[in-house]
Amino acid sequence: MTRARAAQLLATPMAALLVAFAGAPLIMVVALSFWSFDGLEYHPDFTLANYVEVFSSSSTWMILLNTVKYALITWVLTLLIGFTVAYYLVFHVRKLAFQIGLFLLCTIPFWTSTVIRMISWVPFLGKEGLFNSALLATGAIDQPLEFLLFSDFAVILTYVNLFTLFMLAPIFNSMAKIDRNVIEAALDAGATHGQILRDVIIPLSRTGIALGSIFVLTLVMGDFFIVRVMSGGQSTSVVSAMKNNIDQLYYPQAAAMAVLLIGVVLLLVSLILRVVDVRSELAK
Amino acid sequence: METQRKGLAFWLLTAFFALFVLFLYGPMIAVFILSFQGPGGGMTFPMRGVSLHWFADLFSSTRYGDLGDAFWRSIALSLLVMLITVVVSFFAGLGFRRRFWGSGALFYLAIVSLVMPGILTGLGIGTIFQSLGLRTSWLVSGLGAHLSWTLPFGLLIMFAVLNRFNGSWEEAARDAGARPGQVLWMVTLPIVFPGLIAVALFGLTLSYDEYPRSLLTVGTRNTLPIHIANLTANVTTPALYAIGTLTTLLSLLVIALSFGAISLATRKRK
Amino acid sequence: MTNKGEIVLDKVTRKFGALTAVNAVDQVIEGGSYCCMIGPSGCGKSTLLRMIAGHEVPSSGRILIGGRDVTHVRTGERGTALMFQNYALFPHLNLTDNVAFPLKIGGLSTAERRERAREMLGRVQLGHLADRMPSQLSGGQQQRVALARALITNPQVLLLDEPLSALDEFLRLRMRVELKRLQNDLGITFIHVTHTQPEAIALADKVIVMDHGIIEQAGHPKDIYDRPHSPYVARFMGGQNVVSGRLESVSGDLAAARGAEGGLFRVPLRAPAEPGADLRFAVRRDKIALEPGEKGGENSIAGRVSNVEYQGTFVKVELATAQKEEFVVTLSDRAFFARPFDFGDALVASWHPEDVCQLIGANNSAGDALAH
Repeated sequence: MTRARAAQLLATPMAALLVAFAGAPLIMVVALSFWSFDGLEYHPDFTLANYVEVFSSSSTWMILLNTVKYALITWVLTLLIGFTVAYYLVFHVRKLAFQIGLFLLCTIPFWTSTVIRMISWVPFLGKEGLFNSALLATGAIDQPLEFLLFSDFAVILTYVNLFTLFMLAPIFNSMAKIDRNVIEAALDAGATHGQILRDVIIPLSRTGIALGSIFVLTLVMGDFFIVRVMSGGQSTSVVSAMKNNIDQLYYPQAAAMAVLLIGVVLLLVSLILRVVDVRSELAK
Repeated sequence: METQRKGLAFWLLTAFFALFVLFLYGPMIAVFILSFQGPGGGMTFPMRGVSLHWFADLFSSTRYGDLGDAFWRSIALSLLVMLITVVVSFFAGLGFRRRFWGSGALFYLAIVSLVMPGILTGLGIGTIFQSLGLRTSWLVSGLGAHLSWTLPFGLLIMFAVLNRFNGSWEEAARDAGARPGQVLWMVTLPIVFPGLIAVALFGLTLSYDEYPRSLLTVGTRNTLPIHIANLTANVTTPALYAIGTLTTLLSLLVIALSFGAISLATRKRK
Repeated sequence: MTNKGEIVLDKVTRKFGALTAVNAVDQVIEGGSYCCMIGPSGCGKSTLLRMIAGHEVPSSGRILIGGRDVTHVRTGERGTALMFQNYALFPHLNLTDNVAFPLKIGGLSTAERRERAREMLGRVQLGHLADRMPSQLSGGQQQRVALARALITNPQVLLLDEPLSALDEFLRLRMRVELKRLQNDLGITFIHVTHTQPEAIALADKVIVMDHGIIEQAGHPKDIYDRPHSPYVARFMGGQNVVSGRLESVSGDLAAARGAEGGLFRVPLRAPAEPGADLRFAVRRDKIALEPGEKGGENSIAGRVSNVEYQGTFVKVELATAQKEEFVVTLSDRAFFARPFDFGDALVASWHPEDVCQLIGANNSAGDALAH
């Protein structure tokens, strides 16, 4: 057996599983979006009615814009935070054991249920919550801050809390691979730390940044639960609207929205992949 | 790089990091504290006494549905997902060391699988099963849905691990007369083992916590995240926090036990 | 049958797509000899070594070891052991288990193979570190472990892929002695790939000089050094100047060739040549006399000093001449300092025809992979 053949064989289980549980469902959803719904049931068909409904509804576009807004804000925040923390761990923490230990420290909260971590912001941010009580006690404010909970602020705060790790991990991995000699050479050549950051570290971490961005953007765009709870039902996302449809068994309509959503997501992802060729970077 | 410069930058960044960790742990700590809320207390601060009341309530009251059942199902499912993810990702990672026909397509399929919103995957799988006249169940469709999420992660981690892997170790083993199976078992596997642990950990935690993909694919028996999410709609007592504390402790226990088992197994091998 | 460890290469070829790395190589390497393969990067020596080891399969041709055709035999079953250039010690095993690994494959019990491994480690003076991990060792120590691991199976042939390249100068010279002594003690065939010429001629019973996939010359180091086959070999092995001239006449087996600046060279012919042809010959650098002057008689060349390099026991004087390539003369330190030369001095370099070797091979490359 040639080496190429053996390689193919090794990758077959993964290929089979992914085709069955990702490829096929995707095709199914796309097909579903063309099916018709007669008020009670849905039938295999080819109709554009669902798309017409989705595209003509102004709320669709508002929701989409809202979702994209959340995604971009979260992306910027997680990028700034994740990058800074990774930079700290890789370049300012002396021993490797500490680096890994501190990194693991950041991952432990993950072992608490996401749902629980989400709702636990309520006692913290609510009108009678810890934060407000503390501010009131110190006299910084004299009325509890209302915007902290059940608002856009709360939604984004929760996103950042839950998803920063997804940005931190790939960037940490990329940064750790940077050859220190390159940085020393730059210092030797007279570069300031700011220039080194801009011209050496950021370019060499770009794979991690790209991967992290892909994770965060898709997680936010695919969310329906967090946004609903943390906005108190005021705000919604595309997938949330989708879920409404699903709950009412309007599957074809849900599928049409899903196709719209995944179209946007794949567009974003392919833009990122165009800037950074992740596959060849990973193969290095 | 910053040899003697434990200067301002270091301390600022350390402070930033400390704040970040606090930010991450904040909710967890709040949950932990509030689960010991007194019987008369509500779901927010202040604490009205300290008690185990709500823990007891979990076990005694029927309001919370069959928590135990959901919990064990989640554990079983995530362990299964972990096992399959490790094995399949390991072999796929090995395969990807060489360019073969379809490797590009498979890579992008993995990326697509990763970025597909969970509920979409769930919808697709659920509908496929329905069209085929099959019933969705946590062991088949649920398992598959979880795998569609964990396998791409596993693959990416294996990429990172195998990059640092030096092929000459395997050659040296062959030179000593080892057959391909022996090379895999005695050389490749032990060396990439830490990476496999990472894959296992990811698979376990991602599956254990997975909600959207499970929704439409687990069939009639719920996993824990679904169960809890349902409870949040109805339950307005700190018992919810008690659930959080318990499940966190239990998942930490599971992970510790897994680690213990693995290090025992590796120690015996030497 | 006393051809144990004898290696026969029969038209061995290895192609990678359009590239031919090894081109129909024929050679017999005697059992129990120390053979060095030398050449610049990309000449095919490593590929050839790996084919003998079994890590590459020839595209065509046969390889016999100890009389047995092993062309398609798996590596690990041919009686060879390869010592890797980067040592390739298993990072997850300690030294004892590293060395015992081949025995483990061979099915020996844990106790027995560990004992044999420890004994072998003792032979390479690492017995006291038997429980350490490879990452805790220095480069030189790792190399000895790699050696121990290769030798533990009592191979007929030991293959070494640039074993001394990663060592510092001092260690390299010491290890050279070790290797020679080891080969002597064990009596097995050693095939040692290197790109360092002094190393090759110091160790080998037979030197194989390769270029672009073929063997340019193979033979005893003294043959290669004194009587190089082609300009390439002469340049690559060092110690020789390559001089060219146009053949004017032949009388008996002595040719007369005219150099670029008009001087006449007498060259003993070992292969026939026609008048009018370009003749190249090699003159040993240490067999040349230097006198101040502008022009010399037969068998001489004039030039100006372009470099002087002190090397302890001798001094290298480089002249810029009408010849298109470098012309170097080595004088003993006593001779040089009796009458030192300086940059720019006009000198005449002269030699005896019997110290001249006609270069009959066509390969005129510089021995530098990049030059092509």
